[in-house]
Amino acid sequence: MSQNHMITRQEAEDFLYYEAELLDDWRLLEWKELYTDDSSYEVASTDCEDPFNADPARSLFVLADKKSRIDARAVRLMKRAAHCEYPHSKTRHLYTNVRIAGTRGKETRVRANVVVYRTGNDKTTNFMGEMRYVLVREGTDIRIKSKRIALDLNSLNDAGQMTIII
Amino acid sequence: MNTKAIQESLIEVDKDCRTFRINREAYYSQEVFEMEKALIFDKCWLYLGHRSEIPNKGDFLTRTVMGRNLIFQHSRKGELVAFYNTCTHRGAAVCWDRKGNSKVHSCRYHGWVYDTEGKLKSMNTETGYPEDINADGHLDLPRVRVEEYGGLNFVNFNDNAISLYDFLGEQVRDLLDSINAQSAEEMIILPGEHAYSINANYKFLIENSADGYHLGPVHQTYLEFLADKYSGTKESGVFAKMANFQEKGGAYAMGNGHFLLSSNVPTGRPVGYWIEEWGPDIKKEIGANRQRLTDQLGQERADYICDMQKNSVIFPNLVINDILALTIRVIEPVSPIAMKVNAWCLAPKEESDELKEIRLDNFVSFLGPSGFGSPDDGSMLNSAQKSITACPTEWTELSKGMQGVDDLRVASGMTDDETHMQGYWTQWDMLMRGAVSLEQQI
Repeated sequence: MSQNHMITRQEAEDFLYYEAELLDDWRLLEWKELYTDDSSYEVASTDCEDPFNADPARSLFVLADKKSRIDARAVRLMKRAAHCEYPHSKTRHLYTNVRIAGTRGKETRVRANVVVYRTGNDKTTNFMGEMRYVLVREGTDIRIKSKRIALDLNSLNDAGQMTIII
Repeated sequence: MNTKAIQESLIEVDKDCRTFRINREAYYSQEVFEMEKALIFDKCWLYLGHRSEIPNKGDFLTRTVMGRNLIFQHSRKGELVAFYNTCTHRGAAVCWDRKGNSKVHSCRYHGWVYDTEGKLKSMNTETGYPEDINADGHLDLPRVRVEEYGGLNFVNFNDNAISLYDFLGEQVRDLLDSINAQSAEEMIILPGEHAYSINANYKFLIENSADGYHLGPVHQTYLEFLADKYSGTKESGVFAKMANFQEKGGAYAMGNGHFLLSSNVPTGRPVGYWIEEWGPDIKKEIGANRQRLTDQLGQERADYICDMQKNSVIFPNLVINDILALTIRVIEPVSPIAMKVNAWCLAPKEESDELKEIRLDNFVSFLGPSGFGSPDDGSMLNSAQKSITACPTEWTELSKGMQGVDDLRVASGMTDDETHMQGYWTQWDMLMRGAVSLEQQI
């Protein structure tokens, strides 16, 4: 009955919009709960030639978190002593062009485009790129097994550093 | 270009009162920045790239060093060379790729062709030029002086500069030897680059890159992360260990403005300092490497290589962090108040896939544009830059651990002192005033 595991585009869209809402609202402790126990959240390096096939165990990524560090990232960014995000930036996550890219067993692969506007102090920067998710259904909930982002940037020189979650 | 040395020192040193102060103009003045370019960056050896990035004949990569577009090339003759990436005809770049392998570089504009030595091979025409027009070689790609130490290749825009070997000096060469010893074969740069920027004067990041004093306040959340991660293992008690931070190591000025912070931070080190989290297989691999180092270099040296965390600055803008990962970080000033940062991960060629994974994971856990450490450093620098410019406080107080010695460029202090940075600034000041030369004496 793989039909039950299937996630439709509309469900995926609703789910991604919910993730974006949690991020824009800085509800990171709720955000981290969207991720499964064996999940990963990764951003490939801006010089990476094949960002969706590169392996963070073999090459340097901007960011490569497994679940324990996804949790730690969320906890850290909610602390006053996380100086780079104190006070929290204003962000607007635009997740668009959501497509179902395939299913295998319980997993649904989803592709989407992303633009994030971030304002910290008096500076506004943009992050744009493609996101690829593996989503799974756990009970009645949808969860993220993996999320990888390939930025459409050749460096982070315009953005400075990437202190927010994309 | 203003190459005249400044008359008045921008640092104020009082050896009796043990104070060391920097005039804050050094962090924001356009005039100072122009002089730094001429008197420091045009005189010193600047990092270009690592031998392992262009291992084969014909390999090249394009890189910018102080705004100059260069090609770093492994020539067909087998030499590592560098030249300007601009056609001697009408100026277009002859190579538009970040990296690759090629027998020649062909200009896309009019088809001039250069070989991997930078020699002009074809002007893509039979007519209009005297046959011997390039007899003196003036149409070859302009070469830049390149010298190498232990795989690290540097350029110098002053043809009369002292050798890289002398520029680094004994202490830095020893440090680089301690890095290269980490591999039984050779050290290589792993794929992937961090490229980001900070809106601050480059010297703010130089100071920060080997600053033992800032660890507690700036990296509190990182230490909390470690404490959490290690709880229940034999590495628990991170904060107690950090309280003993001054016990081992120190802050060392290494001559010629280079400096080092050598310390103990309980993060583990892939070279030879195992922690429980990494598991028994890794323990075996790390143990074997440690044993190899002990056999080859003796106990004391092996302990130094394996145990000590080393944050170093090679004057004026190269940072090598030999800590929980091994990183090469180049800081390029782009204006008095902005810098670009590029960083790479260095690893032993023969390292297992499992340990390489730990190394890379360590790197991004703390360092880089999304680590749990570097971005907090960056915000301190941004904050300082914004605040100092329009402020009646004229001097920055960099006095901690000031020693009453004659030459601060070789002084040493405790791990959380600023003694080593005083060595950097002393060299900086002497170069800016023309009080020291990095040229060969003829």
